[in-house]
Amino acid sequence: MLLIQCPYCDDALPELEFAYAGEAHIDRPKDPSALSDEEWRDFLFIRSNVKGVHAERWRHINGCGRFFNALRDTVSDRFVTTYKAGEPRPDLSGKEPAQ
Amino acid sequence: MNAPVTSFDAVSVAVLSPVARFNLRIAPADLAVASKVFGLTLPTKIGAGVRNGDRAAYCIGPDEWLLHAAEADQTAIMSSFDAARADTPHSITVLSDREIIIGITGPAAIDLLSTCCPLDLSCMAVGGAKRTVFDYAQIVLIRDGDDAFRLEVWRSFFPHVHGLLEIGVRELAVGL
Amino acid sequence: MTDFRVEGRGRVNRAKPVSFTFDGETYRGFEGDTVASALLANGVHLMGRSFKYHRPRGVVTAGSDEPNALVGTTRGKGRFEPNTRATIQEIYTGLTTESQNKWPSLKFDLGAINDRLYMLFSAGFYYKTFMWPRSFWDSVYEPLIRKAAGLGKAPTEVDPDHYASRYLHCDVLVIGSGPSGIAAALTAGRAGSKVVLVDEAAEMGGTLLSEPSVSIDGQPAWDWLASAMAELDAMPNVRRMTRTTATGYYHQNMIGMVQKLTDHMGDVPEGAPRERMWRVRAKEVVLAQGAIERPMVFDGNDCPGVMLAGAAQTFLNRFGVLVGKQPVVLTSHDSAWYSAFDMADAGAKVVAIVDTRESVPQALQNDARARGIPIHLGQTATATKGRLRVEALRINPVLNGKVGAGRVLPCDAVLVCGGWTPSLHLFSHTKGTLDWDAEAKAYLPGHKTEDVHIAGAGRGLWGIAAALEDGTKAGADAVQSLGGSAGAATFEVADDRTGSGITQKELPTDRSPGKAKAFVDFQNDVTAKDIRLAVREGMKSIEHVKRYTTNGMATDQGKLSNMNGLTIAADALGKEAPQVGLTTFRPPYTPTTFGAFAGYHKGAHFEVTRKTPIDDWAEENGAEYEPVALWRRAWYFPQAGEDMHKAVARECKATRESVGIFDASTLGKIEVSGPDATEFMNRMYTNPWTKLGVGRARYGLLLGEDGFIRDDGVIGRMRDDLFHVTTTTGGAAQVLNMMEDYLQTEWPDLKVWLTSTTEEWATIALNGPNARKLLQPFVDGADISADAMPHMSVVECTVAGFPSRLFRISFTGELGFEINVPARHGRALWEKLWEAGQQYDICPYGTETMHVLRAEKGFIIVGQDTDGTVTPEDAGIGWAIGKKKLDFVGKRSLDRPDIVAKGRKQLVGLLTDDPKTVLTEGAQIVADPNQPKPMKMIGHVTSSYWSEVLGRSIAMALVEGGFDRMDDRLHIPTETGGTVTAKVTGTQFYDPAGERLTVE
Repeated sequence: MLLIQCPYCDDALPELEFAYAGEAHIDRPKDPSALSDEEWRDFLFIRSNVKGVHAERWRHINGCGRFFNALRDTVSDRFVTTYKAGEPRPDLSGKEPAQ
Repeated sequence: MNAPVTSFDAVSVAVLSPVARFNLRIAPADLAVASKVFGLTLPTKIGAGVRNGDRAAYCIGPDEWLLHAAEADQTAIMSSFDAARADTPHSITVLSDREIIIGITGPAAIDLLSTCCPLDLSCMAVGGAKRTVFDYAQIVLIRDGDDAFRLEVWRSFFPHVHGLLEIGVRELAVGL
Repeated sequence: MTDFRVEGRGRVNRAKPVSFTFDGETYRGFEGDTVASALLANGVHLMGRSFKYHRPRGVVTAGSDEPNALVGTTRGKGRFEPNTRATIQEIYTGLTTESQNKWPSLKFDLGAINDRLYMLFSAGFYYKTFMWPRSFWDSVYEPLIRKAAGLGKAPTEVDPDHYASRYLHCDVLVIGSGPSGIAAALTAGRAGSKVVLVDEAAEMGGTLLSEPSVSIDGQPAWDWLASAMAELDAMPNVRRMTRTTATGYYHQNMIGMVQKLTDHMGDVPEGAPRERMWRVRAKEVVLAQGAIERPMVFDGNDCPGVMLAGAAQTFLNRFGVLVGKQPVVLTSHDSAWYSAFDMADAGAKVVAIVDTRESVPQALQNDARARGIPIHLGQTATATKGRLRVEALRINPVLNGKVGAGRVLPCDAVLVCGGWTPSLHLFSHTKGTLDWDAEAKAYLPGHKTEDVHIAGAGRGLWGIAAALEDGTKAGADAVQSLGGSAGAATFEVADDRTGSGITQKELPTDRSPGKAKAFVDFQNDVTAKDIRLAVREGMKSIEHVKRYTTNGMATDQGKLSNMNGLTIAADALGKEAPQVGLTTFRPPYTPTTFGAFAGYHKGAHFEVTRKTPIDDWAEENGAEYEPVALWRRAWYFPQAGEDMHKAVARECKATRESVGIFDASTLGKIEVSGPDATEFMNRMYTNPWTKLGVGRARYGLLLGEDGFIRDDGVIGRMRDDLFHVTTTTGGAAQVLNMMEDYLQTEWPDLKVWLTSTTEEWATIALNGPNARKLLQPFVDGADISADAMPHMSVVECTVAGFPSRLFRISFTGELGFEINVPARHGRALWEKLWEAGQQYDICPYGTETMHVLRAEKGFIIVGQDTDGTVTPEDAGIGWAIGKKKLDFVGKRSLDRPDIVAKGRKQLVGLLTDDPKTVLTEGAQIVADPNQPKPMKMIGHVTSSYWSEVLGRSIAMALVEGGFDRMDDRLHIPTETGGTVTAKVTGTQFYDPAGERLTVE
């Protein structure tokens, strides 16, 4: 069971309090009707399925209730960092990749 | 199975009387208004609580507060918040019946809660509150003292949670 | 029967004799004995039969790595456990044990014929033997394999025991309480860290328990141990736990530990849990698990009486038992020489020390000679004699790789040591790398992924002094990692037993290696020959060799066999061990009961059962229940002699004719509040909300962004800025989560807040022509007459004096009200309505009747008539879409090519030609029953009931192009094998004009 740092609670808490919520940084288009069928399909269904550091959404559903974002290594399962919803993906260059 | 044991020297479990309970949602910038209406300076850090007599407020999310008050004050409190709503948008919802409160007290309180709660409760501040889990149920846990906790659980989950606490008390009473 | 107990040795409590049974015979031992030590004390070595060949087997180890001495234990009624390790199970008076894998008896086992059919059962025999003919796979081979497979017999009764679980948080968790672990715990404890020290054994001390002759800090080892334990116990920041096995090491220093609480007790306290699963979160972990001794691989090495030298030393020093009076020691490591010395000093006549090495430290040789023990260096072992107990060992000199003439050493035990393997299973769970150390000839911990320290023999160190020194350093390191300060302690050790040894493949022989039964894995009956065969047959990876031969795949996970197997495979491949690699260790470290994993989740607590405030009334009134999401809901209320069909028909009739009362408390309720509440509702739901007046209610339809129906419910407008949203029972949590998701992450600018009020309210539905008449007298503060309170409206008032949100809505097609009152008043209101309703023959109904009544009206149930691929148009509720709205969740998808394509499955009604026939829900539908197989399925039945009011069956179905098939006849198979023909219709079967809603 992982410990997850909730960026709102500013605390590392048990995974049991959290729920996974899919890939991060996929914004709902402001005007979906302006999208072609292909663009809308990509928004709905196409995900990156990263091997390595993946930006994903979590919700502290049994805690403060907030959705937030995380960078997590899909190979090791480990969280690299977490950050609040709406914040840009942190630049990891210069940091050691998680093992 | 033995007869139910709900208390022995080290810990006791009791269903507490209901209180007036509110869920307050308000932009943190507007918090002073809510503090004024409620008559208590609401804490800003998630997990923190303040208490004065019957009134208590616990910050359980970045814009979410759990408020407690005497049952007799429920209507007046709602009216006060209603009056403030036009100028300061917020949401206040009466939840006095949503949860049932269980008091867990005694030197083995943390041991008992740790049967099903994954938090390191020894680190939890006295006077604070946290939304967390107890087994499969979401709860709010309030710490009133080193050995005193209140557990608020949605009514329908109460039989499950209370049943587990009873099992836990029996287990602790056996002493193994 | 000979007594093998040695006076003055061991730590068992001689004042407390204990008797127990093994295979029906009563044996005596002492408190502190294990089944194995007590049987050995009685001269019993034969404890089981092997898995595949049913060869007689004796105890090999003195610990949890035991592969052979697996017994069935009975600890009282219903408390049978197979495969208990006799080396772990402590004895108590009344314990019943039995050997396994034998018939008719342990000493004469017919299954041993497999041993004669050895050639049939070589590596990969499953794959080779059970190939042809194909028709035999299911009918012959599988039953045969199933019957033969499995070790021990499975219990047949429900486990009556309780199992506990607990979370534990600490600074430093020390796993293993040998000298390294104790030193680490002392150091961290003295520095004030919160320390947990655990050991799988009943007593702490590890190696110290087997090495009483060593002295530490001027004290004999056992005295030092006692004072160390006393010091630890005196520290309030230290917790010691025995009989506690760390079974798995998970992310971020989460360790699963199973503590055996009562298996060693004859008199178990009433209600005591049998085991407790500890979920430990440690800031730092010290692994001090020591090393596991390896057997020697040679022909007949599995004969009872052949055991590890270190085990013999443990049985002697810890339990006071001589495993043999005339043992031969066969070794490639110095450690077994000390075992020989201890045996000799305790009165055994050690026949010889046979070492495969040509060179052994002179001091050891001197010590052996001083005891009169013959020494044979540069030897191999080529056979054992004896079937149920070893009688002799055949040894041969090896000179320049050539095996010389054999000589036979009569003996009653062979004590072997093929070196030591650092116990790094838990470290391996963390995906820490294990690096080959050429000098230690062992895999040692390499790259670490967790905050973990490995100490002592786990790092290839040998001797008590080295272990203590390494342990205290690990403890100090752990404290320093936590930001504390701790210095390593120093220990003065005298009479230490250090040493070294070599690792080797199967021993060379002068006989045909092909005929040698030289076992590598005792538990899975894998021989050296099997491993070589696997390599010959093309298995190049150690992972393939493992799976092909099953080496290391038994419940001991290859604790004894992995390194020997690897060494032999490497030799067969012509490579060095590190080039061949290592198989992966996985949790649990030792076999773990299902009970420990299940914990409290059994019986009533198997999972959460949510109950409504009116649940008690339903129970008292004989309701049958059905599970809906986590809730249990009253399904129907049978009266005497009624089955479900009769009860539901009666409940339907009563509701349509007068009034029915229904507990709708499980409906999800969400308060949507704030200045932007209307905008938020417009964006979430398909329907338009702007013009919905305060006090009015509307059916709301929620889609996923993919355009498929997610949920629905009636939504009332309480204020301009406040909606009372209801959801389906099962969808409540998901809908709130979905709303929060959009609100927090897509539209954080909206000033609106969401609160779950599902459980704040108890909800009672009254339906039927007399609903208003019944309700009216209870209502204060609102006019609920037909004119004042039209269908689809909501008002705040009091009902029976309870504050209420009263809806006029209907899920039955009848005049209907849903009364929400604070949950604590739910039952009281129900009883008042029940009492007053007697004049109208009020009828309580359950979910089944609710389903029938709504189906008669063609109202869908999300999740039953929809399946996650159904759009509003498919479901025939396109009217619920706000056509002028520019956007809402899922709107864009309603124009996707697949959604607007022809031939989608659409929800239609089905009326069977025979009105008495009720279709089976889920049944597939075909257009032409005479088409060739496989037939084209064009849909399935989603809802099907007997309609009492219509006097016939009704059904709904999702059918391809269903709207274009009106009046077509479709064909549906029945459960009994026939086919039913039904006509396609609309879904409003009853009162399509909705006249019954307007009853005065």
